[in-house]
Amino acid sequence: MFMAVAALWPIKSAALPLFARQTGQNCQACHAGGQFPELTQYGRLFKLTGYTIGQHTVPLSAMAVVSDSKVFNTNKSDDPHADFAKNNSLIFATSSIFLGGKVTNNIGAFLQVTYDNYAAQSDDGKWHGHSGADNMDIRYADRHIDAKNDLIWGISANNNPSLADIWNTAPAWMQYVPVPSPGSSAFIDGATPYPGLAAGGNISGINGYLFWNQMLYVEVGGYRTAKGLTSFMSAGVPEDEKTKLQGTNPYWRVTLSRTYGPHTWMVGTTGMVADVFDDPLDTSDPMSVHHFRDIGFDSQYQYLLDPHSFTAQLAYMRDTHRVPGFLANQPVDDVDGNPLPNTNASDTVKVLRAKATYVYGAKYGASLAHFSQTGTTDSALYDPTRVFGNVSGNPAIKGWTWEAFWTPVQNIRVGAQYTTYNTFNGATRNYDGMGRNPSDNNSLFFYVWGAY
Amino acid sequence: MDRSDVTDPTQRAPLAARFPQTGRYATRLMLVAAALTGLMAGCTNVERSRDTANPAVSGDTLAMQVCSNCHGPTGNSVSPNFPNLAAQQEVYLAAQLHAFKGHSRVDPAGFEYMWGLSHDLTDKQIQELAAHFAGQKLERQGIEGKPDRIAAGKAIFTSGLPDQSVPACSSCHGPEGMGNAAFPRIAGQHVDYLVKQLNVFQRTNQRPAGVVMKTVAHQLTRQNIENVAAYLQALPNQ
Repeated sequence: MFMAVAALWPIKSAALPLFARQTGQNCQACHAGGQFPELTQYGRLFKLTGYTIGQHTVPLSAMAVVSDSKVFNTNKSDDPHADFAKNNSLIFATSSIFLGGKVTNNIGAFLQVTYDNYAAQSDDGKWHGHSGADNMDIRYADRHIDAKNDLIWGISANNNPSLADIWNTAPAWMQYVPVPSPGSSAFIDGATPYPGLAAGGNISGINGYLFWNQMLYVEVGGYRTAKGLTSFMSAGVPEDEKTKLQGTNPYWRVTLSRTYGPHTWMVGTTGMVADVFDDPLDTSDPMSVHHFRDIGFDSQYQYLLDPHSFTAQLAYMRDTHRVPGFLANQPVDDVDGNPLPNTNASDTVKVLRAKATYVYGAKYGASLAHFSQTGTTDSALYDPTRVFGNVSGNPAIKGWTWEAFWTPVQNIRVGAQYTTYNTFNGATRNYDGMGRNPSDNNSLFFYVWGAY
Repeated sequence: MDRSDVTDPTQRAPLAARFPQTGRYATRLMLVAAALTGLMAGCTNVERSRDTANPAVSGDTLAMQVCSNCHGPTGNSVSPNFPNLAAQQEVYLAAQLHAFKGHSRVDPAGFEYMWGLSHDLTDKQIQELAAHFAGQKLERQGIEGKPDRIAAGKAIFTSGLPDQSVPACSSCHGPEGMGNAAFPRIAGQHVDYLVKQLNVFQRTNQRPAGVVMKTVAHQLTRQNIENVAAYLQALPNQ
């Protein structure tokens, strides 16, 4: 597996992915402390002006992740080999190809196709890889600027609400490296609750945005099912796993930010209302939709003064979910055949995430994050499956992630994360009804990330 | 769709969804990209271009569309990570852009941020950029240094450190630190930038065009550097 990554290692130490080639700048010009994907103020302006700064270059980049996940306790399981597949073994996890950069003076793109080496497993236990559309953003932007006023505006066609955003606390961007698919990675930080939008990705949206005096950012758009001309936005996703939306679903975003000296503060709000068909293969009944309303608040502080980079982030999302009538008020029995309360007509889930990161010299970094998901108890969540089950019917998950990483050259990062749980699937102990405790899921995740 | 799937608000961008038929979609994607490129290639807007390799884009346009991102639209940078360019000496600015472009200035701030952006600038664009920022007014900015440092730095600026053979900064940079031609304006520059550059001159050969500063700064202690930088930043802002 190292061979695969070795092939992607740069020929010279200063080799750069496509945006860096386009501007000729180091990664840290746009990414805070060289830590992807978090942007600096310059990175935000580069993105909002449509990825058009610089000059035309080879519009291709590649990224690969080699990783090793280790779950703390693999004994409390009926089939550890299946539940924690690839536990404690080094795997070539995922890779991505990027196509994009400057197209014209006003048009630029960021198109990512991702390959998951462990996307599926056949009955004989053999793993199969698949690739398909990941993040896709094509935009037109213009900037009217003089000594007193600065107005950037643009239009983004993208496949993931908040992908067009410039802040790292936006749902699409507050994340670590891609999460490998094997069961051993089911409890690493990337699989923990993040403040997200229920509609998810691989849908098709058109958003208009403006950034006024580097202070006010407003983005408004609508998302529909990716089909016809926009079907490439969900390319490769099997039909029965696509998000099928009813009509046009509104998304909005407002942030206020200010930079003074090396400090940048931001406060913002995000929202989306989405109607998602229950069965992607049958969208004939307009009543068979899940109605989601997501309202989020986030804040970010950055201190960037070479060689120091410090970031504090806070993001909160409240999701209300009204289920289709035929799923509401349904009887559920527990594993012993005793009746539980009927299922809810609607649920609320709240997710909070707080994270602080320090990076020295764009080389050595450490972060600490807290995650907390709480919500209404609903018998629909009742699941007596060992390891992955939930016998409380409550969605609560809480814990911490510690990370240390090293970036020996700017396009290679080596990191170790440790994620601990004090609540999992609604319980502080015995969450699956068969003796498994939240702390049994504590996981160590080691990765080598490379991009060229 | 399984209900438990949609109840989960943690659904994220499908970084690892399952994907057959990639080839067909990749072709379609490339066709869309090619069509977009073809359609828009004619609409080149040099008035508000951010193209750093197009000689038709004026220095004024580049200053506003590109340089302003870090140095501010009038050359007054908000972040001390980036130097103020407003009212800087035109000759000095042009020389620095040539040094970045020719890779003779190799301090980290130079190659990390400036090599790429200056790579294809024409002599005319460099001249226009230098004139643009030299013609701007340096705005009043908050005082960054502490009063005792500012006071201590004043003595170094005006009189040097005769015991250590450090000449007065004012002898080349002018009594008000305004600079002269190839000698840059240092009055009103950010403390952090001045400290970093004095360290570059003192400890490295990364700015050969400023080699005279290596001798000048040779005997300065860390304290001396921080003091004189504090004084210079405060000079026009008091």
